[in-house]
Amino acid sequence: MVPVDDRSGAALRARFAREAEKLGCAVHIADTSAQGVQQVLDLLGGDPAILSWDFEHIPLPGLAAALDEAGIRRVADDPGVRVGITGADAGLAGTGSLVLTTGAGKPRLASLLPPVHVAVLETGRIVPHFEAWAEQQRANGAHLDAGGTIVLIGGPSRTGDIANIPVRGVHGPGAVHVIIV
Amino acid sequence: MDVQSNNFIPAARIAIRDPQLQAALHASSTNSTRARAESLFAFGREHGEHMREQAAEAKRRALRRLPDLLERAEARMQANGMRVLWAEDAAEARRLVLDVIERHGARRIVKSKSTLTEEIDLNTALEDGGLDVLETDLGAYIVQIAGEHPSHIVGPALHMSKDTIRDLFVRELAMPPTDDAEQMTQFVRERLRQAFLGADLGICGGNFLIAETGSLCLSTNEGNGRMVTTLPRVLVALVGIEKVIESVDDFTTLAQMLARSNNGQVMTVYTQMIHGPRRPGETDGPEELYVILVDNGRSRIYGTGYAEALACIRCGACLNACPVYRSAGGHAYGWIYSGPIGAVITPLLAGLEHATPLPYASSLCGKCKDICPVRIDLPRMLLDLRHDLVTQGHSPALWSLGLHGWAAVSGAARLFSLARRGLRWGLRLVPNRLPGPLDGWTRYRDLPPAAPQSFYELWQERQKTRDHE
Ligand code: SF4
Repeated sequence: MVPVDDRSGAALRARFAREAEKLGCAVHIADTSAQGVQQVLDLLGGDPAILSWDFEHIPLPGLAAALDEAGIRRVADDPGVRVGITGADAGLAGTGSLVLTTGAGKPRLASLLPPVHVAVLETGRIVPHFEAWAEQQRANGAHLDAGGTIVLIGGPSRTGDIANIPVRGVHGPGAVHVIIV
Repeated sequence: MDVQSNNFIPAARIAIRDPQLQAALHASSTNSTRARAESLFAFGREHGEHMREQAAEAKRRALRRLPDLLERAEARMQANGMRVLWAEDAAEARRLVLDVIERHGARRIVKSKSTLTEEIDLNTALEDGGLDVLETDLGAYIVQIAGEHPSHIVGPALHMSKDTIRDLFVRELAMPPTDDAEQMTQFVRERLRQAFLGADLGICGGNFLIAETGSLCLSTNEGNGRMVTTLPRVLVALVGIEKVIESVDDFTTLAQMLARSNNGQVMTVYTQMIHGPRRPGETDGPEELYVILVDNGRSRIYGTGYAEALACIRCGACLNACPVYRSAGGHAYGWIYSGPIGAVITPLLAGLEHATPLPYASSLCGKCKDICPVRIDLPRMLLDLRHDLVTQGHSPALWSLGLHGWAAVSGAARLFSLARRGLRWGLRLVPNRLPGPLDGWTRYRDLPPAAPQSFYELWQERQKTRDHE
């Protein structure tokens, strides 16, 4: 496992942000929910529709109302949609990975089909590494296999299959934004 | 694909004269090897070696407990709603896949890259059954439309240049001409997106299977693996029985070692742990999920002195480090597995008589063992296979061919003569070991005593005296 020495909240957040940026994520810090909501709206530009998790699983109170007001619809699986919005079950500081589990109201496609993925992550959910998260789940009495699928996401989709030239956004999102609240 | 490994030497001869292939091999293996070292030792040599030790131990422990872990994995997977099937050999695995396809009336199939499905020649069986099968990993897709076979277990199209791929896309897919790898990738993205959305069955492999949780684990970068395991109604995963590991903690170690050893990533972009089909209340994910556990010769190997070959996590590092692979390329090995692990596993899986040159496709320089994330002793097994060749009577003609072959292919002759020139000095100090990078060499071969002067040097001196006469 990757060494993570300083495990204070601020240090974990800083480490997560640094590692995620190294992987090609854009990291935004939101001090208030209102600021986070604004960041989402900015990323959406004038898009009419999004794919997303149920809003109860996205830790940004006020997001649903703001999207409603802006006339932005939530659709089920329209392949033309540009942005997918999800929460995150955890952030792994040591490797900059997002942990997403699936379940009712947390569709897999929201972080997969659209070219842009926006993940909203609570600072308190940043842990040193996957082992720590797994340990936490066990301590809470939750089986790791209780969720349908766990996916760890480390930055935008990428390939080097054409002559080793790095290219982003092959099948999955070519841009990943993490809003830390 | 038929095993053509007995053609290794002529195939390698052609490969080393192909400048485009040589350039591609050089670029990809040097890149990967450098990135691997940087990432593995990012927290110091000791930390990297410690992680490697952990990974090696995780796989060895898993192999020791293999039968037990397989049963535990099966029970967990079934409890999570997956259907678990067992295939003793390639024919049975193909039949099981075809049965599932028929049961669900599937016609359009998307695949994410799986070397095991190449091993059992699944695509041919599906195509013969009149089914549409599309590879969706970019490299595997390129190789599929070119009508070729993967040349590297991680990067199937690493042997092709950008220009070759561009021409292929223009010719076969009517791509608007472009020289930009990004635009070429975008073009494929659009095409394959349609295929994902229209597919009714997905086929994938598995990097690990965790006994503790029954997790089917996939490490991928492009996102096609997630598409294949999410969009089609039915998912079939084919997993070799040697892929089972004990715990989630072992998995995190191994998943990181896999990515680092492959191309220096800390983790692959997507690391999935799949725990069954779509649950109540979910709107996506497969409704039916089959896992086919494939033996195909593995349990036979398990009972021999070659069992540690089953610890391989298919990271590709030994290929990238191997001087023979770097010169001969993957196709010369004549089957899906190439490089040092290919030279060991091909004779074991396909039969020694079908791969007689491969145990000699190595200069025994020891780099493969030094770089392997799970410390598989590949040189030891290559030597044992050579021994088997002799005792099974596959020898004399091939011996000389083989020796000739590796000298030509690996540049071993040059390395050897360099070593020997340094040697007359070195030998006095360190009688039986070569210094630095040549150390691995002497671990597996005794050095012949050095002549006071090599023939070449004698000849040069002769010429000099002649010039003066
Ligand atoms: S033998 Fe070792 S280095 Fe080679 S592919 Fe397997 S795990 Fe990687």
